[in-house]
Amino acid sequence: MQSLARSALRPALRARSFATSAARAQAAAVEKQPLMKEFKIYRWNPDEPEKKPTLQSYTIDLNQCGPMILDALIKIKNEVDPTLTFRRSCREGICGSCAMNIDGQNTLACLCRIDRNAGKNSKIYPLPHMYIVKDLVPDLTLFYKQYKSIEPYLKNDNPPEKGEFLQSQEDRRKLDGMYECILCACCSTSCPSYWWNQDEYLGPATLMAAYRWIADSRDAYAAERKEHLQNELSMYRCHTIFNCARTCPKGLNPAAAIAKIKLELAAD
Amino acid sequence: MSTSLALRSSLPRITARRAPVAFAQVRKATSSSTEYVPGGPIYKGTVNDPTTFPPPSKTHGSYHWAFERLLSAGLVPLTGAAFVMSPTAHPVLDGLLGVSLVMHSHIGFDSVIVDYVHPRKFPILGPLATWTLRASTVGVLVGIYKFNTEDVGLTELIAKVWTA
Repeated sequence: MQSLARSALRPALRARSFATSAARAQAAAVEKQPLMKEFKIYRWNPDEPEKKPTLQSYTIDLNQCGPMILDALIKIKNEVDPTLTFRRSCREGICGSCAMNIDGQNTLACLCRIDRNAGKNSKIYPLPHMYIVKDLVPDLTLFYKQYKSIEPYLKNDNPPEKGEFLQSQEDRRKLDGMYECILCACCSTSCPSYWWNQDEYLGPATLMAAYRWIADSRDAYAAERKEHLQNELSMYRCHTIFNCARTCPKGLNPAAAIAKIKLELAAD
Repeated sequence: MSTSLALRSSLPRITARRAPVAFAQVRKATSSSTEYVPGGPIYKGTVNDPTTFPPPSKTHGSYHWAFERLLSAGLVPLTGAAFVMSPTAHPVLDGLLGVSLVMHSHIGFDSVIVDYVHPRKFPILGPLATWTLRASTVGVLVGIYKFNTEDVGLTELIAKVWTA
């Protein structure tokens, strides 16, 4: 009896709640005062190489914009200046395309909230110390070449006769905190050692990827992988500055991985 | 090398406007060179080739690293011992402290040179800095030896300056 009454009531309730909530949302959107915030964005155009890079200022209404820096960038590109160039894809922190330097910190624009303080501007630069293709787009060719050099794939000459490689849960756990890396290059480009010697030093992202395969119990080439790093520059330019661990937008710790490689090399 | 030079000279009009630009396709055409161009592309091979590793050397790798850590860690008790004990009664301790300090500084300065003026990028300044450092290390070692054997010694000097 009770349930019957409730189900009879429900359509009416639902219809009412729909009506009020929609009206409330619309009313609220109209009532909100514009919150104008200034964004200063690094601009450089390869078609005019004689012109120096500049910071261009854009002011947009935060109440007509999504919560993240990427939303602001897309809004600027859509509504203010279509020539603004940046990489973006997934808008949820898994592709690593929108890595840039926002208010002095390398991070993903899609994971970085806009500071609602309208009195203070937000400065957006490309990843530091990289060659720039245009505006916020850095040239990551060398970064990818270095990643390729550590052979980031399973190498084992004796695969199991049938089925797949088996791994204990303990061994699998060693890969946690490393396999999640999306190669956005935030850590490498925050590392002063990588700034000065990036043609030889591999950088935190690549070194963590290297250790991800050294630590993998299914990989049989750990000794060769480690021997690659036995020189002055490839890994030992890491001076444990920890910028990599501080800046990682995925909350990973490349510095710990590098420390473990150093320990394993010293114990060899 | 010569092909890249030829390519470069045959493409001046195209590349001139984009010379300072990190422009992937132009670079791909000219990147068979391995030379380092300041401010320019530093890629070796095509964009799809992995970077290469220098020949492995434990002396420059893990041995150097382990020695550096052990030396730094060893300096702590050594400094403490020199602080507590009378240096004139233990000349060996004084000498050990002098040598360790100089080695520690040498490795530190060498690291600075490798980071900032590596001979790879600074063909004149780099080796000059390295050899200046080596010469001064040897000079300081000789000086400390003389000072320890003919004068009051390192620890005694620091103690005197401290109380002066």
